[in-house]
Amino acid sequence: MNETLKLALILFLITAISATVLAVSNDITAPRIAEADALKDKQAKAEILPEGNEFKPLDESELNEIKNSNENVLEIFEGYDGENLVGYTIKTVVNGYGGEIEFMTGISTEGKITGIKILNHGETPGLGANATKTYFTESFRNKSVDGEITASKNPSGDLEVQALTSATRTTDAILDGVNTARKIYNERLAN
Amino acid sequence: MKLSKIFKNGLIKDNPIFVQLIGMCSVLAVTTSAKNGLAMGLAVTGVLVGSNVVISLLRKVIPDKIRIPAFIVVIATFVTIVEMFMKAYAQDLYNELGIFIPLIVVNCIILARAEAFASKNNVLASAVDGLGMGLGYTMALLILGSLREILGAGSIFDKMLFGANFEPALIFIMPPGAFILLGILIAIFNNIRKKKESTTEA
Repeated sequence: MNETLKLALILFLITAISATVLAVSNDITAPRIAEADALKDKQAKAEILPEGNEFKPLDESELNEIKNSNENVLEIFEGYDGENLVGYTIKTVVNGYGGEIEFMTGISTEGKITGIKILNHGETPGLGANATKTYFTESFRNKSVDGEITASKNPSGDLEVQALTSATRTTDAILDGVNTARKIYNERLAN
Repeated sequence: MKLSKIFKNGLIKDNPIFVQLIGMCSVLAVTTSAKNGLAMGLAVTGVLVGSNVVISLLRKVIPDKIRIPAFIVVIATFVTIVEMFMKAYAQDLYNELGIFIPLIVVNCIILARAEAFASKNNVLASAVDGLGMGLGYTMALLILGSLREILGAGSIFDKMLFGANFEPALIFIMPPGAFILLGILIAIFNNIRKKKESTTEA
């Protein structure tokens, strides 16, 4: 047999077997990955909007309108306590230092930020990764949606949150996402 | 060569990081914490053993002319499997290690062992070589990651070690600190190794 053909055939065989093995692995892991993501989402919503017992996705056409003018919005859910609407959870994706950061912001119908939860990130441990620590996320709680949220080393007042030491890009990225959520709430959800 | 000698080779005499000085970029990038270093080390060890075994099994079948693409396909397959399972069962680690998981494919250690050992030895020896080299790599990552975490963040495996007043030296979490510590570790390791070698020869 032509030597080139023989080489090509062997290579083809190796890659075909590899592809099969990978397809099987994918089948095994894909549902588990989707499950883990869904569970994490559910827990995040309950954590940042504690008064909400049930979460329903925002009306699809409204969500699409919002997504068209804000490309970093991924999901918006309404939080209910029985029949009462108590707030919203807004999931955004922003560009941090080490890639994309996916996180959720909770805003109550009283116009206060109820909390943030980082879902996925690739920030550096000890620096940007401290965004997942409570001393940072808690500083967002009870801040007002009335004005731009900024960060400072010693936050005070209604609009300042904790800045992350030596992680300006990370802090700015999260502020970006929170302010986007805040603006969407003010312009379209608060009524 | 005895199997125990092959194993110890990867760990000490020919340690990929401290002696051979290959596969270094991942070492510097993922050792920002002990946990990340350990996770990466185990992922690489898994891929190394897997690829060494498969390549050794196929060593009489793969023609010399196409051995490099064949090796790469095998290695890439194992890395992708590791990536999928990490994403499914250890999502937090997967996010922290980020792009360095797929980069395992081009980690020199794996291709080097495939070329230098697995393609020329039987399956059991190749598996042991993969294990030795992988664990040698893991040991290096664990030491460096722990040092960088203790000095740069005041914790180990996320457990705070010192009181709230401890001001960590942030430089150790950043690249310059990594280079400095790695250089010192290479010097200490080879110093001890040479001393041990000369006493056994004497």
